Amino acid sequence: MRTGGRATLLLLWLLALAGLGWVVSQRLRVSTDLRSFMPAPTTPDQRLLMEQVGDGPGSRLLLLAIRGRPDTQLAALSQGLVAALKHDPRYSQVLNGSFDLGALDPQLLPYRYLLSPTLDTQPLDAAYLSAQLQQRLDDLSSPAASLLQGLLPRDPTLEVLKLAERWAPARAPELRDGVWFSPRHEALLLVQTVAAGFDPDAQQRAIDGIRQAFHALPGSAGATLELSGPGYFSVVVGAQTRHQAEWIGRISTVGFIALLLLAYRSVSSLLLGSLPIASAALAGIAALIVAFPAVHGITLAFGFTLLGVAQEYPIRVLSHRRAGEDAVQSVRALWPLLLTAIASACIAYLAFYASGVNGLQQLAVFTIVGLLVAGFSTRYLLPHLLPRRVRDVADMRWLQRTRDWVDQLPRPRWIPLLVALAIVAMLALAPGPFWQNNLAALTPLPQAMLLRDARLREALGAPDVRYLLVLQAATEQGVLALSEKLQPQVDALLARHAADALELPSRYLPSVAVQRARQQKLPDRATLQHALAQALQGLPFRPGLFQPFLDDVQAARTLPPLTPEHYAQTPLGQRLAAMLMQRDGHWFGLGTVSGVHDVAALQALGKGSGGKVRLLDLKAASESLVAAYRTRILQALGVASLLLVLTITFALRSLRRAWHVLAPMTLATFLVLAVERAMGIEISLFHLVALILAGGLGLHYALFFERDTGDPAEQRRTLHATLVCVLSALLVFGMLAWATIPVLRAIGLTVSLGVAFHFCLSILMAPHPHAAED
Amino acid sequence: MALAGTAPAASSSSATRLIAALGQPAPARTAFAEARFLHVLDRPLVVSGELAWLGGNRLQRQVEQPQPETATIADGEVTLQRAGKPARRFSLGHAPQLQVLLESFVALLSGDAGRLQQAFEIRHSGSAAAGWTLTLVPRDAKVARTVASIAIDGYGKQSRCMRMQDADGDLAVDLLGPLAAQMPAAPTREALQALCRSAP
Repeated sequence: MRTGGRATLLLLWLLALAGLGWVVSQRLRVSTDLRSFMPAPTTPDQRLLMEQVGDGPGSRLLLLAIRGRPDTQLAALSQGLVAALKHDPRYSQVLNGSFDLGALDPQLLPYRYLLSPTLDTQPLDAAYLSAQLQQRLDDLSSPAASLLQGLLPRDPTLEVLKLAERWAPARAPELRDGVWFSPRHEALLLVQTVAAGFDPDAQQRAIDGIRQAFHALPGSAGATLELSGPGYFSVVVGAQTRHQAEWIGRISTVGFIALLLLAYRSVSSLLLGSLPIASAALAGIAALIVAFPAVHGITLAFGFTLLGVAQEYPIRVLSHRRAGEDAVQSVRALWPLLLTAIASACIAYLAFYASGVNGLQQLAVFTIVGLLVAGFSTRYLLPHLLPRRVRDVADMRWLQRTRDWVDQLPRPRWIPLLVALAIVAMLALAPGPFWQNNLAALTPLPQAMLLRDARLREALGAPDVRYLLVLQAATEQGVLALSEKLQPQVDALLARHAADALELPSRYLPSVAVQRARQQKLPDRATLQHALAQALQGLPFRPGLFQPFLDDVQAARTLPPLTPEHYAQTPLGQRLAAMLMQRDGHWFGLGTVSGVHDVAALQALGKGSGGKVRLLDLKAASESLVAAYRTRILQALGVASLLLVLTITFALRSLRRAWHVLAPMTLATFLVLAVERAMGIEISLFHLVALILAGGLGLHYALFFERDTGDPAEQRRTLHATLVCVLSALLVFGMLAWATIPVLRAIGLTVSLGVAFHFCLSILMAPHPHAAED
Repeated sequence: MALAGTAPAASSSSATRLIAALGQPAPARTAFAEARFLHVLDRPLVVSGELAWLGGNRLQRQVEQPQPETATIADGEVTLQRAGKPARRFSLGHAPQLQVLLESFVALLSGDAGRLQQAFEIRHSGSAAAGWTLTLVPRDAKVARTVASIAIDGYGKQSRCMRMQDADGDLAVDLLGPLAAQMPAAPTREALQALCRSAP
């Protein structure tokens, strides 16, 4: 192609990329909710689990500790923080232990007679009122007088205080200067975020808001604010992983560029060679934007990793060029093989699509579109741009020597058998369980952080993240009624110390039926007036003082019962909303449990309920979910492998040739698995993903080595291209293998081992050149 | 200017001398009888017992009549105990009256005029040798919204009376020491004021 034509093509390509880049930057919405990488739940219980993993009351709780100043100043900071966060829409509840009459919205004050259980056992008659008023008189002469005096005319029986006590956390920490303190002189707070616990970005915003509010407080300069809780952990883990991945990425990018410059000694080749990859990435993202409402951050991170396979296409083209030959010609010669490689990789990634997991489906769309774009642009665009004159790598001295050495390597037929035996032996003798079912093990937290979380959780009596008591009924009111029915059994369990606390939804709102029953017991105005007059006899209260009380009781008699929707606007209503939810035509109530001592006793709560009441063990459930997830991926991989065999056999039109491609690839894949197991590594989903990537790379090596049977110069070019590919993959993934974050290490180690094994086995098991010449 | 500046200094220095003279070593105990005139009641509430300064910021108010009750203020927290009932606790921050009582009482008993001056604007009338009155007005605007003033009446080196005037018109009069025994059966604001101002 003429120079002018090349310039035009380059310009058009760059313009297309810029346009695509602009669209992507305008339309891309990245989501960070880890749950889209979980399998789609199938049963209502699993759906509930998925909600709870990130969305449950326990997982949305942040535990705060302020320390480093004298107690009084810490208490002031604690109060200041509550005042600052209370009306922030990012938080549904902010607690620091301070006695808070505002817990009940002033407009809802008459509802106290429907919410408080006092009247269940005690009618509002003269005898009760008389006893209560006598107590209030004692209160008035005590130092507590100033607390009560304002409340007295409206609420002589102090129902508001009883409710405040009822709603305080079941096992509250010590109060000092009116706020919660740990034994270590830390002011403690509980903050419930509106955002889900496993949405690191939203959690980051919530945590930033807390920190900003804290630093804006006067006197916060010398004090330290510490956070804990699932949401905080997801932020820390995300930041750590990103940080390590970034610096490893920077180093390996520099190394990768240096390697390519060394291999091809041409800046223009390097720059042009990067165009297919850039097109692949942008096209992949564009496809995601079209196909999905939001693109997951992990899809992008993994997707770019998996696209590493596509870097092989331009490398193959660059290495296989002959001096003076048109690039278009050399590509044409390579194309059938490249097309086979592209098709096989796409089939492998289709397995992800079949897994049914949203995040993996995104990954499949991204990589398949990316691979196709990279492949076809390497075939139809790149060759027209490459400079005509190039060095033939086949003429390089060292390459000739290396190829000779490789050719002289013994290739005994028993090698596959030996490797297979070694694999079986290692798998059989490997220590520990085969599969890693605990996703958390891959993103571990520093021990100090876990200890602090346990300590704060203990001090605050905050609910466990692991257990939930699930109540199921046809209606919302049914759940509340079930919760009320269960309360006596729960109280008995707590008395026996089966758990430290168990909070049921009806603690915050009684069912409409109970509220109606309480309304029925409220006396009419005349009766109450009469009883009050009797009770007041001989007491020095000013006449007419209790008019607001009479009015409130009258109002309470005719109020429409409080429902969760009415209640939702208040802080407590939001607390309740987190404990009630509707799924698939059923209503679920969630009881939070703290300090579990006797799991069996809690499980026994559900006995005879016909599944209406059950203890959900989030850890066990998530582990079984991960196992189910893996089974689906493995099944999909099985189908993909079968398709792969058919594709390769069809492409090569020979079973024997297909064997030479597929046998080393299969053996190397299992060898990686066996070596990792022998090292005591438990295999996780990330290992599986990495194995597939390595398998894709190995397929290329095997395909190209297998093809090499005639021309020695072409054999050298193949070796050159494969060496560049192997070294660049080892560079990038070898670096990852040194990361301290297990997810990164899992991917890095698996791919590095895979690349090394695939390379060695595809050389050793390639058809012997001499044999082929026969 | 110079003259205007010296006048309050002279009065405050006499107050300082008086306050220093009132100081006692901890623990210090005194009998008390208190009448509370509250707007929610049509006659005053009367209790009597013993007030004790336990040193530091710890104060104990032990009521014997009509209902035994012990209130302890320590570490910013108030603990209320009545026979046969679980103890009740609340933060001092929720009871400004108590905060003021603690501040003034502890400062007076320890003879710490500086501390008293930090929290209150002090007015002094009468003579050190005979009857005197110290009037304390809280400097903190938030506290002043609930407590208007505290007046302490005394004679010589003896505090005899403490009158706490709330911003909403409520009044608590504490007769201290020997005067406690002279609480009338049906006290009035005027009668108590006269009693407080009388010579021993």
